[in-house]
Amino acid sequence: MSITIEKVSKSFGRDEVLRSLSLDVPSGSFTALLGPSGSGKSTLLRLIGGLTKVDAGRIWLNGVDVTDVPVRERQIGFCFQNYAPFRHLTVEKNIAYGLKVQRRGRREIASKVEELLALVQLSDFATRYPHQLSGGQAQRMALARALAIEPRVLLLDEPFAALDAQVRGEVRTWVRNLQHDLGITTILVTHDQQEAMEVADKLVLLNKGAIEQVGAPSQMYDEPATDFVRSFLGPLTTFDGVSIRPHELELVPESASSGQVVTITDVVRLGFEVRVVVDDGTGGSTWIQLTHDEALLGNYAPGQRVRLRIRRESHA
Amino acid sequence: MKRRSLALRLIALFYVGVLVGAPLVLVFQRAFSPGFDSVWHSLTASDTASAIRLTLVVAAITLPLNVIFGVGASLLIVRHPSKFTRLLDTLIDVPLAISPIIIGLALELAYASNGVFGRALAHLGWQIIFSWPGIVLASAAVSLPLVSREMVPLLREIGDSQEQTAATLGAKPTRIFFTITLRSVAWAAAYGATLTLARIIGEYGAVLIVSGNITNKTQTLTLDIASNFENFATKQGFAGAALLAMISIGVLIVLSLAKQRERKNYEYHD
Repeated sequence: MSITIEKVSKSFGRDEVLRSLSLDVPSGSFTALLGPSGSGKSTLLRLIGGLTKVDAGRIWLNGVDVTDVPVRERQIGFCFQNYAPFRHLTVEKNIAYGLKVQRRGRREIASKVEELLALVQLSDFATRYPHQLSGGQAQRMALARALAIEPRVLLLDEPFAALDAQVRGEVRTWVRNLQHDLGITTILVTHDQQEAMEVADKLVLLNKGAIEQVGAPSQMYDEPATDFVRSFLGPLTTFDGVSIRPHELELVPESASSGQVVTITDVVRLGFEVRVVVDDGTGGSTWIQLTHDEALLGNYAPGQRVRLRIRRESHA
Repeated sequence: MKRRSLALRLIALFYVGVLVGAPLVLVFQRAFSPGFDSVWHSLTASDTASAIRLTLVVAAITLPLNVIFGVGASLLIVRHPSKFTRLLDTLIDVPLAISPIIIGLALELAYASNGVFGRALAHLGWQIIFSWPGIVLASAAVSLPLVSREMVPLLREIGDSQEQTAATLGAKPTRIFFTITLRSVAWAAAYGATLTLARIIGEYGAVLIVSGNITNKTQTLTLDIASNFENFATKQGFAGAALLAMISIGVLIVLSLAKQRERKNYEYHD
């Protein structure tokens, strides 16, 4: 189910949140709306879902204008950041809610719920209440509940933000695989560029209510259209007065023939990644991103003098 | 550390015991010392029986009114905030701040047969003050904030994402209201309702003013107890007091069960 957004605007009072924004979301794609807080990404998601009304512009689902279609008739699966579990209902009744609204037969509801419970790996938790679930389980229940009505589009608002860092990675992979298997057009809102690049096949980067760039994650990382995109999609540092990605720099021994002589001020070891902070003597600090093995080879320590240069294989 | 906590517990127990526990036990002891037959006789005496009946009737009318008002006002205050709801929010709290005597006097000024609104109502043949409608008004006024005080914080905390989710699942507004909104605040509303009930049956000051305190006619149980003591019918007075205390303790038990259930339901997952 494709989604077309044409010149959509939205203001809250004097606050202009979206400015004449247009976007095409192809059928079956997994799109991430990415941007800093206040960029309008969540508002755009709510407009697509019909939870908020547009001030101007049109929204089409599969070629049908749904701008004035109320939320209950849009057949949209929407998952809130807090999962919005129906706290007074058990897991199975949460999932069955939409099916009951559709007046499906009791046996049909039961078998469908069973199927969805298996899909989200909650079969053993059918009769639990939401407060007896972990964050990850509550989120899977919310997904199953949304999927029950066979939505045309799945909209996820910051789905991983409330999870522990450890669980987050697993859930991301799981959601990505689920979307892949089901083939349902999915839009996810996030402020985390790494998360967006990991799960989505298409990124939409928003800034101040307008789109900065749309593209595949790797394309946007390698060919950022604006400085904003460049700085948002990955870390930057300054070398020789220009901003550059810290993994595009390398350290070589002081005896090497090229590179600027600098002094190491700090070495931060983060497992696979090692960050080396250097002072170029002018007071400006630059940091370099090395792999664990590179750092081991150089045996870097604060106070050490080395040469800093741009990696040869890098095109920056 | 352990010894200190023991000492603190003893002090707390002593304080509560001196203020509430021991005096209440004495009321029961005094009420039941002449025997159950005597208590039954006291409670079925015409004035006390009539007072119990009136108290129950007033509670039966006032409680649903204030629960419906409280639920509606809370939803309005939280979900549709405006200048009007801010005013409403403040006005609802007035009965908490001012003495029930003043509420009684104010109602009498407004609704007595020569009062501002009372005159017009008297023309229609409706007597408010010195009659049961006045008692209902006074009871409703003093217990006005109790339901919304429980519901507003809960409604604020849970937000409206459950309702919005139900809408995405195809539910119409009335269905959402009955299956999601009401259900998710049911325990807070029940807690507010029991507080309201306790307040209605225990109210003395406001009811004293508006009822005229007429034996066998406009005396509620609290008024009957007081007048029995004034008339040296202490045995009957203690029997009424014991009954009122038992009802209140019953309400208290229901209340703590509701609170427990509520906490269980709304405590969020890890």
